Amino acid sequence: MFIRLKQAAAPEVDLRTTYDAVVVGSGAAGGMAAHVLTSHGMNVLMLEAGKKLDINSELKSMEWPYDHPRRGQMAPSNHALSFNEYTIRQPPYAVGSRYKHVYSYVQGWGGSDYSKNIVVDEKDHPYSGTKYAWVRARLLGGKTNIWGRLALRLSDYDFKAKTHDGYGEDWPISYADIAPYYDKVDLYLGISGVKENLPHLPDSLFQRPNKLTAAEVTLRSSLRKMDRVLTPYRAGVTTDGLKHNKYRSKCFGRGACGRRAGGCDIHAAFDSPTGLIYPALDTGHLTLRTNATAREVLVDPKTGKARGVAFVDTETGRSYEALATVVVVAASTLESARLLLLSKSTTHPNGIGNSSGHVGHNFCEHVMGPGVTGLVKDRIGQARTLDDGRPGGFYVPRFRNLKEKNRNFLRGYGFEGSAGTTIFPEHAMETRGFGADFKKSVRDRAGAYISMGGFGEVLPRFENHIDLDPKLKDRWGIPTLRFHYKFGDNEKKMCEDMANAAQEMFEAAGFEILDVSRTMLTEGWSIHELGTARMGSNPKTSVLNQFQQSHDVKNLFVVDGSSHVSASCQNPTWTIMALAWRSCDYLASEFKKGNL
Amino acid sequence: MGDDEKELTRRDAIKLGAAATAAVSLGVGHLEAQAQAGGFLTQGEFAILDELSEMIIPTDVHSAGAKAAKVAAFIDSQLAEAWDEKDRSEWRAGLAVVERLSQQMHGATFMKSSPEQRLALLTRMAQNEAKPQKPEERFFKELKSRVVYAYYTSEIGIKQEMEYKGNTYQGDYAGYD
Repeated sequence: MFIRLKQAAAPEVDLRTTYDAVVVGSGAAGGMAAHVLTSHGMNVLMLEAGKKLDINSELKSMEWPYDHPRRGQMAPSNHALSFNEYTIRQPPYAVGSRYKHVYSYVQGWGGSDYSKNIVVDEKDHPYSGTKYAWVRARLLGGKTNIWGRLALRLSDYDFKAKTHDGYGEDWPISYADIAPYYDKVDLYLGISGVKENLPHLPDSLFQRPNKLTAAEVTLRSSLRKMDRVLTPYRAGVTTDGLKHNKYRSKCFGRGACGRRAGGCDIHAAFDSPTGLIYPALDTGHLTLRTNATAREVLVDPKTGKARGVAFVDTETGRSYEALATVVVVAASTLESARLLLLSKSTTHPNGIGNSSGHVGHNFCEHVMGPGVTGLVKDRIGQARTLDDGRPGGFYVPRFRNLKEKNRNFLRGYGFEGSAGTTIFPEHAMETRGFGADFKKSVRDRAGAYISMGGFGEVLPRFENHIDLDPKLKDRWGIPTLRFHYKFGDNEKKMCEDMANAAQEMFEAAGFEILDVSRTMLTEGWSIHELGTARMGSNPKTSVLNQFQQSHDVKNLFVVDGSSHVSASCQNPTWTIMALAWRSCDYLASEFKKGNL
Repeated sequence: MGDDEKELTRRDAIKLGAAATAAVSLGVGHLEAQAQAGGFLTQGEFAILDELSEMIIPTDVHSAGAKAAKVAAFIDSQLAEAWDEKDRSEWRAGLAVVERLSQQMHGATFMKSSPEQRLALLTRMAQNEAKPQKPEERFFKELKSRVVYAYYTSEIGIKQEMEYKGNTYQGDYAGYD
């Protein structure tokens, strides 16, 4: 085989000892914290709420549809929430369901049997309030096991967005502060792409890019005339290999990468376990405790400092306390805010780190839905090519509100898209008729379609927030989140423009427009929730400083997407990891000085 | 939780460029002509479905069709384990509509009617595909969607008909730029 997966035996958790740091969560942020802190020689305990799964036997990435008893689909007793359900119902969505298990919408895609143990059952994990399509993965590595892999940098158009357009707050860092850490992430984890020299989408240190299909090249040429850019999908995938990581193979373009929710069982695509956690275990400084749901950050009443984390064993329901000098929260934007709010004490009556009252607020993300599908006529009847042997298709970076100002809305959006053949000819579902003509039409038109969909920046607003539901609890008796979150006028106007711009670009490229989608998908759909514990230099209006360190509690760090001050329109994972790296370097240095 | 909802989810996925591989269905590997083993349909119903599936996706010079791909067996196994009794009863009712229509149009059962008569019947079922109204039109939509899914996720559909070249070592990705 291509890879060796044997890991070092993990040390058993010792609850009598005080670890240098306890990290809550094992996704992109928690994995990075474990990597950086152990590389500085700190002894780290990682708590993960989910299981440690044998991920390769879950994903079976190379299994043919016809070799699976349901061609990849989960059992009919299980149900995935649909757009309609999110639209007409209020959470908690699984209440009263006649299905055995209820999952978020991602399980409605093909290949759901491979991710049924990865995404959470809504029955165990209810939430309330406004409608929200909340996608969660509880297992070692979290959502990185199934992420979309688009790996983008943010720029000073994002970090200094208020300076640029007057809205919201600037981040307490600029691009120059984080650029060296983006470089570190690029080199340590691998990223593929093409340099474009765009000020609003800085280049990474790229490995070999995936190539564009014929229709994508046509679109790129056409967009150049409009002074817009189309670049191959910047994927958090190693295409040249990583000599320092024995757990990951380089991408060999085998195809079927489009299976969603997918995963990559050769781990060419980044995931936190093989990219960060297994190497951290190999240092001997990391202890892993899975099936451990954090329920509270413990506080020393004398000093007001964090002293560890209380957690519930998800199998036995028993409660435990893990002690540490530093607490690093990395449970995902919403779960981290939930944990802070759950951690009420005499010293921190509104929840730990929440003297500002901003925890849970300024919640933002990406809005999606508008997009376009076109027919590329000169691709009809062409010889068959393999077009899905790559992590993604193309990306069209933001072009709004950079040099010119759009009078209707603030900020911008980018598009993700692809053209070409896929293992399942989705257009067959839409092709009319039957018989030999139908069959030939499906055959001839394979690979002749192109589509793209937008991801737009949702403005952070104080009133968009989450808090704890006063009654509702999860399966382990822990209070759950209540949403008070809605897209606003800026998002609606942006989405109208997104749909129009998408149509205009496809028309200019000569594609026959088959469908223009103008529907905004449910809040949460992008799985890019951000901002519930934002950074800032003012402790009255922010939760964390520029090193993701609590203004209130100096040995408490929150290193995930909750710290982001604004959403940008560029996907957050790479920024989450670059920031976590920077903060954990600072943390380790402060720890060694005895300042924590 | 009708098919409309499922379909919407599927379509969303495509529109969003998700390259949706709607991999799915039920793979009943070894079902031969006798449908009932692990299935739901009676032998008579199964025979009609088998014929209809082949009419929708026939064998042609390029590749084998739905019969060879055991599309009917796959659909039958899906029905057998469907969570909603309604899925089964609607299919039974749909196949009964086909029988009634055949009697009405040709005075013969579907299986005893001629190829030309069967074609006339299926053409009538398919006439309002965009906006099906009558029971036979609605059943056509359901029937075709399941046949298409089952066929293009079968080995014949993927490898022979669509000549899919992936899911194997490639060395390098061959693109155009």
